[in-house]
Order: sequence, then structure tokens, then C-alpha cells
Amino acid sequence: MQRLLAFIEHNFHFILFIILQIICGFLIFGLNPYQQAVFSHSAASVTARSNQFSADLTSYIDLKEQNILLQSQVSEQFKNAPNNSFRFLQDTIDVKDSSSRPLFEAIPAQVIYNTTYKANNVFVINKGTDNGIRKNMGVVSSEGVAGIVLRSNAKYSVAMSLLNTDMKIIPNINDQEFFTEMVWDNSNPHTMKIVGINKLEKIKEGDLVYTGRSSLLFPPGIPIGSIAKLTPKPNSQYFDTYITTATQFRKLAYVYVIINRDESLITPLIPGND
Amino acid sequence: MTRLLYWISIFALQVLLFNHLDLTAFLVPQIFIILLITLPLHTKKIYQVLIAFGLGLLADFFVSSPGIHTSSCLFLVMLRMTILNTQDLKEEIANRLNYTARNVGVLPFSYTVLILVFFYHLYIFWIGSIGAINTYNLLVTTLTSSVFSLTVIAILQFMSLSHSRE
Repeated sequence: MQRLLAFIEHNFHFILFIILQIICGFLIFGLNPYQQAVFSHSAASVTARSNQFSADLTSYIDLKEQNILLQSQVSEQFKNAPNNSFRFLQDTIDVKDSSSRPLFEAIPAQVIYNTTYKANNVFVINKGTDNGIRKNMGVVSSEGVAGIVLRSNAKYSVAMSLLNTDMKIIPNINDQEFFTEMVWDNSNPHTMKIVGINKLEKIKEGDLVYTGRSSLLFPPGIPIGSIAKLTPKPNSQYFDTYITTATQFRKLAYVYVIINRDESLITPLIPGND
Repeated sequence: MTRLLYWISIFALQVLLFNHLDLTAFLVPQIFIILLITLPLHTKKIYQVLIAFGLGLLADFFVSSPGIHTSSCLFLVMLRMTILNTQDLKEEIANRLNYTARNVGVLPFSYTVLILVFFYHLYIFWIGSIGAINTYNLLVTTLTSSVFSLTVIAILQFMSLSHSRE
């Protein structure tokens, strides 16, 4: 305490200087019109920046909640007003579902585990049989196809991602379905491969690849990816076609599980599925 | 009494003459700071700060610039204290002398005045143009006004020296 008092006594002129400078500051920025305007302008600018920062921070903190809210809204739209949400469902609804009842519905889910570095990658979502999720249901992200449900328990489900060497999906390019499978060759987490597209087919790099009508797991027209490279195989009539996946699997966080409501009614009607 | 007259004369010169030179916008000399520079060396630091505050307020009153001269004068005395701390002035302090060329020598006095006058002008013009500082204008105004002020201060000190020799 004595040291503190001694310090104050020794530096009292400096403390006084600071106090008087503060008073000067008030005089300068309070009574001089020019400096006052400068101060007001700077203060407004600082306030605007701090408000922006605060808003950014709040919205960032709120992001998870907003994502979940958005997911449930999209899901509701998917269920109740398909014409306003997923454009790719229109055909399905109009043609197959004569009662105007949407054939597909989507259950929003969060990805809680995900791998992209293995040969057979899977991801786990926080929804299970309690939410109506079963084996062999399609899973999509906001960007495109993500995978297929492998198994579920009451609370969780595990899905085979597109980045799985066991995954086989039929591509649809330029409204034409190619009955050759699209597979992942374990080379990199963004690229899949189609072997066996004829060189006479009118496809080019940049063309988009969608799901077709040969599957009951996904509605037709859901993006799978786009053609990144077409490599003509020497001494062969086929291309090696490399597809960049629409879904970025390393960033996969939110998905929708696609439920085909009438899958049990449709499947027995298809020959070979009795 | 002589000291008071000296203070009033210098301040009057500033207020009545140098504040109205209007030769160029780059010339706004601040001569009255010689009063703070030449304050008696034995003056307590607290009093120096208070004198600077009072003198600054008075200068502000005459040019309607509340706080600007006051803040600059406070800055000046603090800088003066810092510079004087580096000089050996024990004898002058003991003899209760003023800080003048006659008492401390032309060279140390010139060195101190040069720094104080330059930085005082730089500080006051910086505050005056805060928010729209034009570095070129700031430096030219500072240099022109400093050179002018230094010339006047030199003349005053020379007169003081001549007077003491007589």
C-alpha cells in the first residue's frame, strides 16, 4: 500500500496530465464543430462495425439451430408442397402418384460420424427406426446423392456413402439412363467412375449426372455429380468417364433420408422382385 | 512584476499579432510557448502541468478552439520534462533559474527548443486536422510555422542575452 501511495505521489504530475488530457479530449471533440463531426462520424462507423460484428457472431452461434430449423422446413415442404420445393419430384408425383399424395418424403438428419479415407466409407446419422428409417433407403445431402442406409437401430442409422467400393448407382445423363454402373474406385474422395459408356453417346465434359427412374430409393433427377473427364479407351468403343460428386463428403453435416412411402406396394409388382 | 509583464507582453504578441498574420495558410506560428519552455527550472512538475493547462485554456479562449491549445501545451510540458531529465541542470535548479539560453547555454537550449517547437506545432496541427489529415500540408505547416517561431524565439533570446551583457 505504501509503495502504491509512493508511486502515486511520485507520478502524480503524470496522472494529472492524463486527467487533464481527457478533459481536453472532451473539450476538443465536444465543443469544436469540426472535431465533433469527425468524432460523430468515427463513432458511427465504429458502432456500425461493432453491430455488424455482433450480428455476425450471433448468427454464427445461431447457425446450428438455424440449420436444424431449415432442415425441418425443407422436410415439411418436401412432404406437403413438393411443387414448391424439390423440382425433381414433380414427375414422380404427377405420374406415379395418381392420388396427388407425394410418393417420397424426407427425414432430416445430422451426420455424427463420417469417413472418406477408407475403401468402404460409411456415415452415421442421428435418426433411426423410431423415425421410420429402415435399411435400403436413399440418403441425400442439400447438394445431391449421399448414400444408402445399411442398417438402423432405434436412434441411429449407418449409411454406405457414395465413396464405397460396394456402391453401385445407375447414372442418368442428359435425360438418358445408362445401364452401366457408376462406382467409386477408391482413388480420391471427389471422383467416381463409369466404365462402359459408348463413344457414340452424345455426352461431354461438364454434363450433369442425375438419378434415373430405375431405382425406388431416390426420386429421379437428384444430382449425383458432373462429368469431369472423358477418356477414350484405346482399342475400345467405350469411354472411361470420371464424375465429380455433387456432394462434398468431407463437409457432410446435414442430410435427408428419402422414404418411398409405397415402396412395399411397388416392389412386388416389378418382375424379378417377387 | 517584470516577469508578469513579460508574460503578458509575449501573450499579447501572440494574440494580437501572430494569430492574425494571414500571410499564408501554412504559417500559424505559436510564439507564446516560449513562456512554457522558459519556465523556472525549480517549478514543481505538478505546477508545470497546471500552468500549461491554464495557459492553453487562455490561448484557446482567444482563438475559439477549446481544448486544442490546452492539450498541446500539456503535451509540450511533458516533453519538456522528458528532455530536461537528460540534461545536467542541478546547479541551475538550485539557483532557481529559468530555462533560458543565458542560464543553460546556447547549445542545450537550442537543442531543446528545436525539438519542443517542432513537436508542439506538429501536435497542434495534427489535432486541428484530425479526421482529414493531409500529410504534406501537415508537414509544410509544421515546418513553416516552426521555423518562424524559432526565429522569433531566437530574436527574443538574443535580446535577453544582449540585455544581460549590458
